[in-house]
Amino acid sequence: MSRLYDTVEPSVIDDEMLRKAVEEQGPKEEAGKIAKQEGVDYCDVLSLRLDFRNILKVDNLWQFTKLTKLQMDNNIIEKIEGMDALVNLRWLDMSFNNIEMIEGLDKLTKLEDLTLFNNRITRLENMDSLPNLHVLSVGNNKIDQLDNLIYLRRFPNLRTLNLTGNPVCDDQGYKLFAVAYLSHLVYLDFRLIDEDTRQKAHSLYENKLGELMHNEKQAEVAIEAEKKAAQELLKHKDAYVEHLNSSVLFESMYKEDPEGMKLALLPGLQDMLKDFQDKFVEVCMKIFEFGMKEYEKRCKEMREFNTCIQDAEAANKKQAVTVIDAFEEYKKKLFTELLVTSDAEVQERKMNEYHEGVNETWDKLMGLEMQLVDQLEETIKDFERNMTDLMSQLVEYIQGLITQVRDLENSHNEKLLEMCMTVLEKVVKNEMDEELPDDLRMLFVDKDTIVNAIGASHDVHLIKIDNREDEIVTRSGAWLSGHMQKIHADECARNRARVVEITNYIDHLRDEIDTQFMP
Amino acid sequence: MDIIIEDGQEESPDADVEDLKEELEAIQITAEPIIEPIIPTITKEDFSEYPESYKDNTNKEKLILAYVENYRRQYVHLFRDRKPLFLNPLNECGIEKFVCTTLRPTLLSYKALYHWQGCAEFVADYLTMKQLEPPQELPMCLFSPSTILKRQLGNCFDFSNILCSLLLGAGYDAYVVSGYATKEICLADESRQICPLLQPKKEVVKEAEKPEPRKYTVKPPRDLRSKFIIKMEARRKKEAEEEEKKKQQEDEEKIAELEKPPPDALYGLRIHAWVLVRGGKREVPEDFFIEPFTGQSYPPSSTSFLGIESVWNSINYWANMQNCASGCKDMSFDLMDTEKWEYMLAGSDQSQIEIPDVEEELYDLDDDEKENDDEKHLDMPATWVLPICVTKNQYEMRCPQGKKTTLYKKAKLEKYANYLLKDGLVTRLSVYDNNELTDLKKVQEWFENREDKLTTRVHQDGLITEDFVEGRPRSLQQHVYKASNPGPEAERTMTFFHKARVNGLCKREETPTEMTEHFVNRDDFLYLRHVLFGKRQKKVAPATAEGPPRPILKITEKFHRNDALPASKDVEEQIFIIHEDKIQITYHREDPNITASTRDFYKPPNAEEKGGSLQWSNDMTNTFQVNPHGSPAKNLAIYENLLQLIQTEQKSIQAVRSSEEEVKDILMDRQKEELASELAISVYDTERNDKAKKHRKELERLAMEEKLRRQEMEMDYLAPFLAQIGNPDKISKTQAFKLKEDCLADLKQRLIDKANLIQLRFEKETSELHKRQQDYQQKQVAMTKEDEEQYFNYCSEAMFRIHILELRLNRHKQMAPHKYMQLEQKLRQDPRLSVYF
Repeated sequence: MSRLYDTVEPSVIDDEMLRKAVEEQGPKEEAGKIAKQEGVDYCDVLSLRLDFRNILKVDNLWQFTKLTKLQMDNNIIEKIEGMDALVNLRWLDMSFNNIEMIEGLDKLTKLEDLTLFNNRITRLENMDSLPNLHVLSVGNNKIDQLDNLIYLRRFPNLRTLNLTGNPVCDDQGYKLFAVAYLSHLVYLDFRLIDEDTRQKAHSLYENKLGELMHNEKQAEVAIEAEKKAAQELLKHKDAYVEHLNSSVLFESMYKEDPEGMKLALLPGLQDMLKDFQDKFVEVCMKIFEFGMKEYEKRCKEMREFNTCIQDAEAANKKQAVTVIDAFEEYKKKLFTELLVTSDAEVQERKMNEYHEGVNETWDKLMGLEMQLVDQLEETIKDFERNMTDLMSQLVEYIQGLITQVRDLENSHNEKLLEMCMTVLEKVVKNEMDEELPDDLRMLFVDKDTIVNAIGASHDVHLIKIDNREDEIVTRSGAWLSGHMQKIHADECARNRARVVEITNYIDHLRDEIDTQFMP
Repeated sequence: MDIIIEDGQEESPDADVEDLKEELEAIQITAEPIIEPIIPTITKEDFSEYPESYKDNTNKEKLILAYVENYRRQYVHLFRDRKPLFLNPLNECGIEKFVCTTLRPTLLSYKALYHWQGCAEFVADYLTMKQLEPPQELPMCLFSPSTILKRQLGNCFDFSNILCSLLLGAGYDAYVVSGYATKEICLADESRQICPLLQPKKEVVKEAEKPEPRKYTVKPPRDLRSKFIIKMEARRKKEAEEEEKKKQQEDEEKIAELEKPPPDALYGLRIHAWVLVRGGKREVPEDFFIEPFTGQSYPPSSTSFLGIESVWNSINYWANMQNCASGCKDMSFDLMDTEKWEYMLAGSDQSQIEIPDVEEELYDLDDDEKENDDEKHLDMPATWVLPICVTKNQYEMRCPQGKKTTLYKKAKLEKYANYLLKDGLVTRLSVYDNNELTDLKKVQEWFENREDKLTTRVHQDGLITEDFVEGRPRSLQQHVYKASNPGPEAERTMTFFHKARVNGLCKREETPTEMTEHFVNRDDFLYLRHVLFGKRQKKVAPATAEGPPRPILKITEKFHRNDALPASKDVEEQIFIIHEDKIQITYHREDPNITASTRDFYKPPNAEEKGGSLQWSNDMTNTFQVNPHGSPAKNLAIYENLLQLIQTEQKSIQAVRSSEEEVKDILMDRQKEELASELAISVYDTERNDKAKKHRKELERLAMEEKLRRQEMEMDYLAPFLAQIGNPDKISKTQAFKLKEDCLADLKQRLIDKANLIQLRFEKETSELHKRQQDYQQKQVAMTKEDEEQYFNYCSEAMFRIHILELRLNRHKQMAPHKYMQLEQKLRQDPRLSVYF
């Protein structure tokens, strides 16, 4: 049970404590000596024990990035915190502390074994990011809600659960409830769940469970569908034609167009509007389809390019590796020969031979690399040219289609104007047989007002269409230049790395013979 | 012939005739030894063992013979210069029989005989060939297949006859062909042919698919060599190749010239019979010949077959009308073509055309006419020969005495029946370097049913290769070793069924100083272990049986890439140089890198003995890191790595030692198996499986005993009463009555006793139940649940028992009078007492 605060001075995790713990728990004997000599990096430590130390607050653990096992039992910790850096943690023991709430575990996605025995926890919560949880021990806590156990259904790998000593255990149906709802469990409260209990629990909660499972399944399906839609949208975005396969663009034109909305109520306009929308959407569909087709084409082109580049690199690598292997073979032979001969002259000659060989190898490797650079450069140029062509084709075609859209809008506008004129005449002559809504009537005051209103609506529409067009053009251009830049940069980095590698290797070869055979 | 000569003698007494007579007599003398060997074989036979059909002709057969005679006359009349046809030879009883009736289509119940290859091989193996005497004349007689199969000896006509019967039975469109062939074919001389087992298999060479030129394939580096020089080089090479080819061809021609058979005086006259299989039935795509002596198939264009006189099967007989000047190459086998083939029985042609039933109905009128036509024609009489039957034993023995030797060009093939030889040998092929078969080059042996799973053994160039099938302990698949040194630590290669082995070993190659093991699909990604052994140091130790193991100088282990580890931590090759106390590690290459990190360890001598307390010093390791900017490994990690490697080294040494042991064990096993050479007998093989036989015998014996026991069981119901009166030989009337009375009384008593017994039990059960019921009623309140349950259980059981007893009693009551009556009846009919009743 938790101790009183004032009995012992609470301590803090500081560097000294950590160093001591690491040293104590680290390697022993000769290895320990070595470790002491050169010091142990915290980032290399795999397991750490900080128990019985009166720690109040978890802190200063950010360096232990490789830690897989952490024991902090029998302290006076009140809050789970400061462990966001321990992403590789699999085993966490915080039993016999004063924790009141499960929290701060979001980053520990690899956690498999969590022990919070003997704390003051009241609810099971905030563990959504721990899908690998295998063992959970929360005995001797203050969990009192039976329904709270349903929370644990989200852990498909949970096999062992310990809840003894919680108020919830006093409930008569606790055991059967747990077994029924957590069907993957193998051990509950230190005991193997036998087949009998399982059957009983299942029959008891069959109906409720069925409903729950149905709901869960539905939720799952919904999430799946959403995911799929999001993926599809992403693809459309990559093709720059998102939402063009529906009437979104058309609707957006009227959304920010109060005059248009008002005018739409004009009698007889509905049909015209409908016709306009149909035509509009049809062209949009064309744009969409073309965009998607082009997108597929682009993807294919890129795939082709990538495989070719990879093939070329692999072939080049193979050649280089054969060169190196041949030299290594020669080196081995030479070294054994050098070890045998004691004649200084022969040694001298052999050494010279070796150095020449090293130079030759360097020449060969660099030659290969230069050859690859040339080849890739040419290919990349080809690719860039083709991609630019593809993109300009896409933009031109889409622009053509958008012109059609604009024409549609223009003709619609003209028709609307004509119609409004007739209506205005009627209104002026008071021959209007139908009542117009008030705000619409306000527009039909005189010719200027109505013309202005229609013009404003038309402008809004045109701006929308222009914006969409600009978006496509700029986005596609940006993507192309970005992508090409990346290809160039990658190639550059590759070349640098290879040259460094070759130089490093050659240096090593030169050093090797010196260190081995120079007095 | 004799008759004619005799006639001549009587009718012309002139001097000319005398001369003629003398001349003719001279001929007679030369002719005699030819005819004689045939006639005695017939006359010597005891005909009694043959059925009637062999000794006589039915009316229909006589009719057909007359028909045949007519056909022959016409044929002779029309083609005076042609040789006689093989139509009605004598059978074993000296009776003329038409050749078509000697065929008997038969399908034997052996799987292999359902295909022509199996049939041909069986006939070729089962019979011993006898050549025609003289080779240019038709034989006088043709025996029935059953006789031939019994004698296992026959000429080409006998062979073809049986083979054709089997093929017809299996549904092939087969015919016996009488014609002319080369000497080699007629004598079944295959010594100029390549053994079929040695013929190189046609390998379907798959052309490596050229990768399609991709859009962005990089251009190859520019070729800076002189085009002219390359061209000249290629030309020179080509010329040299052609020269070589030409020379080779010339050599081949020379050899072929040398190997050509000597010219045959009887070329084109040698009579032979073989089998023609026509395409169309049983998925045979086109016509081909089967040579019955060897069982080989030939295309009709083969130059070995020189001409055809006639063909027949069990339905009809056709004489060839085509010119055979160029062999059978251009011959048409369309037997319906009356220009080319002259049939004998017109009616049976219809059997060749299958008219669907529907059409027959439609053209009812036509049909009637046809039927009338049919009736006019004579159809083939039923065959006179006994059914062909081959027992399982005969089938398995195959060749006479189960052995057969065939000579081929530079090769000898010996065949043995299964289980004939003690070591399970079934086939042995010896290949020689010369035509005289003295210079042995290669021996290949096939085995069957070996307990040690050995299937083939090849002895060639001083190397012995043994192949095994799956199922051996240690999963050995193939073993190649030197014949001169079969012991351990010698040159050898063992291949294993790696899937059946725990350590995934698939191959182990050995020389006296090296051992290489290849592995497949191991969890630790090891795929190769190479060991270099040193020479044994000579010690003056007491001579043990084996001596110390060879010292290991170096162990090299290679690993595949383990994707779970980063490449710089994943070992590709580790070399333990044991005599230098050195360990060399090479890691895998990271994907774009061309160099691999390496690390060398120099461990202090005898490090493994000190265990973990190894002193560390910085000069114990030497490393090359691919990435110069990466942080160097910590000494601690290196130290731990070293400790682990020292352990690995020990494990590897262990593995090598156990491999050596395994080799020794396998060799020992092999030696034992070779000595024992036991044959496995299938559990289904009732003939050979002694255990099963014994078991069956035992079962039969038991059944027999049971039967006897039953007989005894039917006891004499009068015995005890007869014993009472001292078993008299004769029973008087009073005695008989008394016996009857006693016997019946006894039965009555027993029946009553039984009824009483049942009643007694019934009462006991009822009272017990009653008691328990009372008990229950008294203590009902104080009873626990379990007690109550027990009580109810008891009640239901007791009720059940009572019910059964009741039923039994009723049944007994019903049956008792019957039984009584039955006994009385029996007693009345008893032979001992019946006199008095």
